[in-house]
Amino acid sequence: MASVKLTKVKKVYDNNVVAVHDFDLDIKDKEFVVFVGPSGCGKSTTLRMIAGLEEISDGTVEIDGEVVNDLQPKDRGIAMVFQNYALYPHMTVYDNIAFSLRLQKVPEDVIYEKVTNAAEILGITEYLMRKPRALSGGQRQRVAIGRAMVRNSKVFLMDEPLSNLDAKLRNQMRAEIILLRQKLNTTFIYVTHDQTEAMTLADRIVIMKDGFIMQVGTPEECFDMPQNLFVAEFIGAPKMNIIRTELGKDGSGYYVKPFGVKIPVDGSKGEALKAKGAATGEILLGVRPEHIQMAHAGDPGAIPVTLEVNEMMGSELHLHVFTEDGTRVIVRIPTIDLEPGEREKLVAGYKMYITFQGKVMHFFNAETEKNLLTD
Amino acid sequence: MSNKNITMEEGQPRLKRSMGQKAANRISNTVIYILLIVISFIWLLPFIFIFLQSFRAELRGPVGYVVPHTWGLDNYQRLLTSNFKKWYLNTFIIALVVAALQTVIVLCMSYTLSRFRFKLRGPLMRFMLILGMFPGMLTMIILYRVLKDLGLTQANAVPGLILVYVASSGMGYYVSKGFFDTIPKSLDEAARVDGATRSQVLTKIILPLAKPIVIYTILTAFMGPWGDFVFARYIAFGTSSGYNVAVGMFDWLSKDQIGQWYTTFCAGGVVVALPVTILFMCLQKYYVEGVTGGAVKG
Repeated sequence: MASVKLTKVKKVYDNNVVAVHDFDLDIKDKEFVVFVGPSGCGKSTTLRMIAGLEEISDGTVEIDGEVVNDLQPKDRGIAMVFQNYALYPHMTVYDNIAFSLRLQKVPEDVIYEKVTNAAEILGITEYLMRKPRALSGGQRQRVAIGRAMVRNSKVFLMDEPLSNLDAKLRNQMRAEIILLRQKLNTTFIYVTHDQTEAMTLADRIVIMKDGFIMQVGTPEECFDMPQNLFVAEFIGAPKMNIIRTELGKDGSGYYVKPFGVKIPVDGSKGEALKAKGAATGEILLGVRPEHIQMAHAGDPGAIPVTLEVNEMMGSELHLHVFTEDGTRVIVRIPTIDLEPGEREKLVAGYKMYITFQGKVMHFFNAETEKNLLTD
Repeated sequence: MSNKNITMEEGQPRLKRSMGQKAANRISNTVIYILLIVISFIWLLPFIFIFLQSFRAELRGPVGYVVPHTWGLDNYQRLLTSNFKKWYLNTFIIALVVAALQTVIVLCMSYTLSRFRFKLRGPLMRFMLILGMFPGMLTMIILYRVLKDLGLTQANAVPGLILVYVASSGMGYYVSKGFFDTIPKSLDEAARVDGATRSQVLTKIILPLAKPIVIYTILTAFMGPWGDFVFARYIAFGTSSGYNVAVGMFDWLSKDQIGQWYTTFCAGGVVVALPVTILFMCLQKYYVEGVTGGAVKG
């Protein structure tokens, strides 16, 4: 139960490689913050600096208002769950969970109560006397979480805790982490490379790339208003289509001309562009696959495309199409939206039309790759 | 029907081949076992010889036969009345102290080199590697001078020898460092987050997981000084009260003593072998493999 504040935190390795650049972040008490980004973006390094497992090259880390730069991990009031569980193999599950309490010289009857309580919450009571090697991956991760739980720490750190689990177990554990968070009601910092985990778990997401923060915001903000091209492409699956095109303006307002087809930017996005007074010229237009519809020849704004690959996902189809100039676009169509008999026609080489509306468009500066509406 | 025939016809040659394979395995196993038995017999022969000779009561010098004509414990009694008691005690003290100190030093050294990253780590390891290539004998003369000045030779050879053995023990870190390297670092980190100090990480996490290596380190640390001859003879030079068993007993084999002391020498040899054998038998059950199973996702 504490706030965490990072001010200009920097990590430079001995070989002068900068892993984290001037990281500024204010994490409120009881907030669930997720660091997300591709591998090598510095998210784990930042977490390990908060934990005290990695030296801080520059800047300060404060936990609960206290600068902890030079404190040992054990004195920072944190608990951590590791990607590879890091269970002590020579100890039983009970001893693993009790380890930190024994180091604090907590009386055995208190330890017993805490361990059995944590085990009950996590559903591992029956495995308490087993060694870690006799447990499955999911059970091991529960033990690792249990070990962190009993410490009553101020901040709960999790370093990719689900990435070693199979897909099904991962979904289940994700839901359990949400429940756990409600029970523990403490500050969480969670590192993952999986945007789904970030979206579902976080109060706020910190998206990182090459040691820089690309955006900090709620999942909705990151999804609806990505501040730059990187965030736009990183959040959402399949990723956003990016089309290099021209932003123009005529009597009725702004328009774009993807693949030579003029589509007016109407609705809220048009208003916003007007309010910003956005400059016309070349831009990068972003449209999410789920915001593209199928159209008919002659419809206004219909873009002719050819189907290349049809991925059947069950409730939806992911159609990989290419336009007349060879640009690839992904379209996500719910299966129930298809007209009868249409599904059978969707094979490679099928000629079709797609379109999208102004309100779903994202506009990025062609050079700086920043969002025209937030920059 | 026809299908059935085909499978039977196909099945038979496969069966024959597997039987041929079995027979070949059995023959090669038999040959290997016979060879191993012969080798181990040749290897054990001197020990059996010494063991039998130590019970010979009729003659004290070397003889032309192996099985004693008269059996007795005279030789063992004679050990108790000779200087052997003092030598044995010397050796035991040296080996015990060295085993304790050397084990601590080697394990700390290995832990440090495996887990800590400091500027001189690489140069230090290279330096010790090169230093280790020179035979220890080269240092004998200067060591003798230093110890002589410190008053740690001849009658005071026991503390002198302990100093010599323990001083170089840090260089024997290779095996245990190699083993520590295989223990995942995230275990250290988890323990440190859990509240363990660096030394608690070593004693509560690393050492329990490295039991076989700890045992190996203790055994080698004990056996080195237990059987040492060269340094011990050099440093205790000429003073019987500073001898260890190897040096003391070696004198029994000299031309003018062998006629009287040969069988006692054999008895001494048996007594010297005892503690090492017992130590080994007690510790070998800890040589358990696969203790790290389930620590981290592989």
